[in-house]
Amino acid sequence: MSTTKASRIGEEIWKTRIDKVNAELVTLTYGTIVAQLCQDYDSDYQQVNQQLDKMGYNIGMRLIEDFLAKSGVGRCANFRDTADMIAKVGFKIFLNVAPTVTNWASDNNQFSLIFDENPLADFVELPDDGRAQDELWFSNILCGVLRGALEMVQMQIEAHFVSDVLRGDDTTEMRVSLVRYIEDEMPPEEE
Amino acid sequence: MTVYSFYIFDRHAECIYKRRWLPRPTSIVGKSNQVPGAAPAGLGQTVKAGDDDAKLVFGTVFSLRNMVRKLGGEEDNFVSYNTSQYKLHYYETPTNIKFVMLTDLKSPSMRIALQQIYINLFVEYVVKNPLSPVEHPGGIGVNNELFEESLEQFVTRVLA
Repeated sequence: MSTTKASRIGEEIWKTRIDKVNAELVTLTYGTIVAQLCQDYDSDYQQVNQQLDKMGYNIGMRLIEDFLAKSGVGRCANFRDTADMIAKVGFKIFLNVAPTVTNWASDNNQFSLIFDENPLADFVELPDDGRAQDELWFSNILCGVLRGALEMVQMQIEAHFVSDVLRGDDTTEMRVSLVRYIEDEMPPEEE
Repeated sequence: MTVYSFYIFDRHAECIYKRRWLPRPTSIVGKSNQVPGAAPAGLGQTVKAGDDDAKLVFGTVFSLRNMVRKLGGEEDNFVSYNTSQYKLHYYETPTNIKFVMLTDLKSPSMRIALQQIYINLFVEYVVKNPLSPVEHPGGIGVNNELFEESLEQFVTRVLA
C-alpha cells in the first residue's frame, strides 16, 4: 500500500466515521494528567515519562480494536506499510494529524515520525526548573500507545522521542524500531 | 436458519466467550441413533464436556487456518466449512481474536455477521468498557450484560 492510498483511507474515515470532540478538551485533559504526574512524582521526569508510556500502552491495547473496527483494514504486508498506516490512518483518525514518515534505517526496521503539529502540546510550556527541558518527554504517552497497539497485531516495537519543539528543538521526532514479529500462541499442551 | 453456538477465542488461544442456543445435531455428541437437532442433547452435558468442545473447535480452526495459509499464502483465510450436519463460520481479526459460529446448513455466509459482532458488539461493549480488563482470562469482562443482551438480540432478530 502506498502512502497516498493510506492518506486517502485516513481522510475518508476521519470524515465519515469519527465522532469529533473539542480539541481543547483533549489538550487540557492531557496537560492536566502530565501536570499531575509531575506533582505526584515530585518532578522526577524519568518516572513521569515511564508512567506516560505505561498509560499509553494500556490505551493502545484497546485502541487498536477500535482502529480495526473503524478502518476495516487488514494486516500490513511489511513494516513500511505499517508505518504509513500508523501515520496516515491511525494518527489521522484519532488526533487529526498525519506525521511524516522518514529516516528509514537501511534494514527497513526503523523509522522516524516527524510531527508538524501535535494537539497534545498546544498551549504547553515545560516547567522552568532547568531539568524538564532536558528530561521530560511531554507527549510520551504516544510512544506507549504505539507499543500497545502494535503488540496486539503481533509486532514488538520500541518507540521513543528524540526531539521535541517544546524543548526548543527544531522538530518533534519519534523513533520507532521493530524488535520482532510475535509468533502465534499455541494452546497449552494437555493430555 | 438456526444458530447452534458461538465462540470467541483470544490471542492466547483461550476461549473467552461461549454461547449455545440450540442443541447441536446429536451425531456430533455421539448419539447417532437420534434425529439431528430434535432431542435436547445439551441437557445432560456436564460443564466439562462443554469446555472440551471449545478446545476442539479451537484446535480445528487453528489447524485449518494454518494449513490454508500454508497453501494459499499469508493473506489467505478460510471462511467456513460444512459437514453433513452443520456449518462452521470463521472470522479472525488482525489482533488474532477468532470468532466462530456453528449454524445449520441452510445458513448463508456469516462472515459479515461475525465481523458485525466484532465491530458493533465486541469492540463497543467489551473493549470500550473502561472497567473491563484489557485481556479476558477466563472470560472476565466479556460476559457483561450489554454484550450478552445485544448478542442475543443480534442472533435472534437479525439472523433469524
